Amino acid sequence: MPVTAREWKVVVAAIVGLAVQAPVGAADTVINPPPQAKDWSALAGLPDWSGVWTPNMTDQERRIQSDPVPWNKAAAAEVAKLEAAEKRGDPKGLFVNCLPESMPSWMLITHNALEFLFTPGRITILGESDGNRLRRIYTDGRGHPDDPDPTFHGHSIGHWENDTLVVDTIGILPEAYIAVSEAVGVPNNGDLHVIERIRLDKPEVLRDDLEIIAPHVLTKPWKTSRFLFRQRARKYDIVEGVCLQGNYSEGKDASGNAVFVPVPQTEGGNYLPPVKNESGKPR
Amino acid sequence: MKNGSWPILCALSLLGALTLTWTAPAAAHHSFAMFDFSKTMTVKGTVTEFRWTNPHVALLVQFDAKPGAAPEVWSMELTSPGNLTRGGWTRHSFKPGDRIELEFNPLRDGKHGGAFDKATFLDTGQVITSNLRAAEKPGLQ
Repeated sequence: MPVTAREWKVVVAAIVGLAVQAPVGAADTVINPPPQAKDWSALAGLPDWSGVWTPNMTDQERRIQSDPVPWNKAAAAEVAKLEAAEKRGDPKGLFVNCLPESMPSWMLITHNALEFLFTPGRITILGESDGNRLRRIYTDGRGHPDDPDPTFHGHSIGHWENDTLVVDTIGILPEAYIAVSEAVGVPNNGDLHVIERIRLDKPEVLRDDLEIIAPHVLTKPWKTSRFLFRQRARKYDIVEGVCLQGNYSEGKDASGNAVFVPVPQTEGGNYLPPVKNESGKPR
Repeated sequence: MKNGSWPILCALSLLGALTLTWTAPAAAHHSFAMFDFSKTMTVKGTVTEFRWTNPHVALLVQFDAKPGAAPEVWSMELTSPGNLTRGGWTRHSFKPGDRIELEFNPLRDGKHGGAFDKATFLDTGQVITSNLRAAEKPGLQ
């Protein structure tokens, strides 16, 4: 059947309409456009945070005293209980289950190295140990999602104020601890908001000023700082550190395949020697 | 005196407590509060296993814990392979059969484990230690 001029107009209008709508739809969904040469060259203007960074653990502990956590009454009672348990050598162990230390505890109490990767529109922090320590900080101007799925490290957006990276993090799981040690801390219980200002304090020392807003466990925002030392020697290269691997040893299955087999551990996560006592039962 | 026949030497001192607490190894997995850092045990024994594994390396050592009784295997806990690498350790630092004098801080609950402090290889005199806090400065080699 021949197509009339009127029908052609309708078809053309529909195609034009689709064409006009398509880029709008793409702009809504494509949030990671291909970087251009200028985006890569712009990275050269950022501060040099290369190398591997090791934490100042002694200062972490000192600052628990100098920047005391403004726990609310319920949290303070729980912390006191945990501190007493740790003092008598019977710690609960917040991370014995090998779940990530999470935000903000990773930044507060880590004893492990980390590194920063700068790529267009994003900064990535990779940590050693836990197996899955990873923070993605978007610096491309995007905002937070309206309703982010809660995660261990939350959703982070950042921007540069001169040589300071300002990071805003929300969307952290309520179960993520605000920890002052590996044995003492309480879950944030939701609505956690962390603001960080990260900059070189000295050429080889990185400073992270944290403001931790946790309305369910703190009476006011907790402001504290953490420091990291730059290392460039080969032995400081980050190595893989899968926490759960410690629960297994290398063994063989019936077919001779190399497999992981569970090892005996104490409740506190200590590896116990695979021997039996006089009664024949594992200790 | 023959290897493994030395008695356990327990030393309690305030100075030791302070020093050892300060140099306690640690990583993400668990707190080290279950070890009694006020108590140092020194034994001579033989390495049976060296587990170079995250999050904590373990060194298993067999020694005569009780005179006249069968030798026991105790498990020594250390920090992570990454942190130990920075202290000069490798996954070959110990091998089964190595004869060592071992200093450690025992578990408080009496189980056969402890936090590694220092080992001296009896055949060579080489000393190996673990002190994570030694890395608290930049530009280390």
